[in-house]
Amino acid sequence: MKTKLASWQEEWGYHLLLLVAVFLMLWPIVFMLSTSLKDLNQVFESTLNPLPFPPTFDNYTNVLENFPLLTYIWNTFFIAIVVTMSKALTSVLAAFGFVYYDFKYKETIFNGMLLTFFIPITVLIMPNYLLMAKLGLLDTPYGVMLPSLVDGMGVFLMRQTMRGIPKPLLEAAILDGATPWQILRKVVLPLIKPSVLAISILFFINSWNEYFWPLLILQDKHNLTLPLALQMFISAEGGSEWGVAMAVATLTSLPPLVLYGFCQKFIINTFMQAGVKG
Amino acid sequence: MEEIKNVEQTNEYSIIFSNVQKAYGKTVVIEDLNLEIKQGERLILLGPSGCGKTTTLRMIAGFEEITAGDLFMDGRQVNNVPPGERNIAMVFQSYALFPHMTVWENITFGLKLQKLPEEEITRRAKEAMEILHLEGYENKKTHELSGGQKQRVALCRALVKQSPYFLLDEPLSNLDAKLRQKARTELVKLHEMFKPTMVYVTHDQIEAMTVAHRIAVMNQGRIQQIDTPYNIYHHPANTFVAGFIGSPAMNILEAQVLNNCLVVGDSVLKPSSALLEQIGSRKKVLFGLRPEACAPAFGDAMIKGRVDFVENTGNLQTATLRLPDGASMYVQDSHQDTSFAACAGVDFAWDKVCLFDEETGANLEQGGKQ
Repeated sequence: MKTKLASWQEEWGYHLLLLVAVFLMLWPIVFMLSTSLKDLNQVFESTLNPLPFPPTFDNYTNVLENFPLLTYIWNTFFIAIVVTMSKALTSVLAAFGFVYYDFKYKETIFNGMLLTFFIPITVLIMPNYLLMAKLGLLDTPYGVMLPSLVDGMGVFLMRQTMRGIPKPLLEAAILDGATPWQILRKVVLPLIKPSVLAISILFFINSWNEYFWPLLILQDKHNLTLPLALQMFISAEGGSEWGVAMAVATLTSLPPLVLYGFCQKFIINTFMQAGVKG
Repeated sequence: MEEIKNVEQTNEYSIIFSNVQKAYGKTVVIEDLNLEIKQGERLILLGPSGCGKTTTLRMIAGFEEITAGDLFMDGRQVNNVPPGERNIAMVFQSYALFPHMTVWENITFGLKLQKLPEEEITRRAKEAMEILHLEGYENKKTHELSGGQKQRVALCRALVKQSPYFLLDEPLSNLDAKLRQKARTELVKLHEMFKPTMVYVTHDQIEAMTVAHRIAVMNQGRIQQIDTPYNIYHHPANTFVAGFIGSPAMNILEAQVLNNCLVVGDSVLKPSSALLEQIGSRKKVLFGLRPEACAPAFGDAMIKGRVDFVENTGNLQTATLRLPDGASMYVQDSHQDTSFAACAGVDFAWDKVCLFDEETGANLEQGGKQ
């Protein structure tokens, strides 16, 4: 009986912990969504009440009418899509090299690449900024993109996925006279498509949400990305238009949320294959 | 298959290993391999795990670099020729079918890469699929196929290439016993139709005996014997081959030579003059006798012993005979009514006996030298 009691308590304990964790994670989203549906009075009167009554879409109308949202969406999308495509392409090509070719210092180079994970962003900011300045890329989307065109984590994940492809498949293609490019395109890529899709979505979401580096590079109001625009909006309006700010935040977070929702399975599988707990 | 005819006219041997060595770092896995594979023959590389048979096959395919020596194919040295340029068709143990493609796409993949005309691709694929009874499976994905069907698709993919070289790496090992027998027959028929040079790796001796024109028995990176299945079975070159081929393996017993007689256990045997000539001045030899060449004796037996254990497999009875000196030997009898209880030993015919050198293990028929 004692053990049964213990396991019952344990189970409830775990669930309670999980509930707290879920609440902590979901609360900001619920808060954002509910505030965006409240008018200014409600925002200050019932700040913590998650249910707006009556709900109003005025904030959204206000944002869509008075805010160059489409420009910011395009700026953010342009950077995110170029970064995503470049990262995915370089990750796949580099991983293919690491998995299917034998060359001198292969392991050393790979380990060196892994080490880049551990370099804190703060160390990179100064040299990257100076480089962008020298290249004349300050206040351009290219200055935001350039330092993030390649991703060590992407190479690592793609390498792990490719290692799962049985070698005889590649050998069969080689015997058929396939060139490395044909092997990659016709055998490897179709087999790892879900994983490529998964890391691409992660790259896209990361780039979409990127705040700090664009903040340093972009200055002109018309060049801003959504997270920067959101910040500017809150500050410019004196911090009082919380409803409007939350409406912008909701609209900003929608695309990555929808993308993740659709491709959650692929993303989880990719990390499972790589033996990495996300 | 015009290519094959051309080769046949010019060269009897289509694959020649000349003093080939293969090492991984300091570990030598193949030592001084000399092997000549005839045009259009079915050569089986047979041996226990780790004997180097798959490495040998992969050297032909070009997947393993040759450390030293030369490999010739069709008279041309191919040590540094990449696999894709060797015009080889191969069936892998795991079949290596592309899981994202249909059966048709799998079969025509190589032909499309060769940029053959569409009609030629369709003709070849249809022809091969008909031979292998794969009609109707064109649009199936490989995961929808059974093991036997996958194996046939893999064969079909190799067949459509119409290569003069056909390499098979344990192609039947993933099939159940019944399917394996059927696939074996199909494989031989297929070879008879097109007659490519076939090199086949297996550790299954039944497969080797039934499929091969010649068998190369390998052990520890060395070829122990290359010969026809008949000779491998009846005239094994050494005790390794004698022990590896046959189930149960050949009985190999120590025999003392005394006054032109052989003493096995405590039985004194008078060998034929041909065997006496082989023995020469040796004081000790190894006496080899296949279990099925032993006839249970119930009175005065040539080799005396008592039966320890009998196994009945329906068509055969296999008895373990314990000799007075503690050695044991297998006796196989196809008569179901034989009662081994009263068995006093075995009789045999001298022409079934193989004698081996005690030190080298080599068959005395060949002079007893390795």
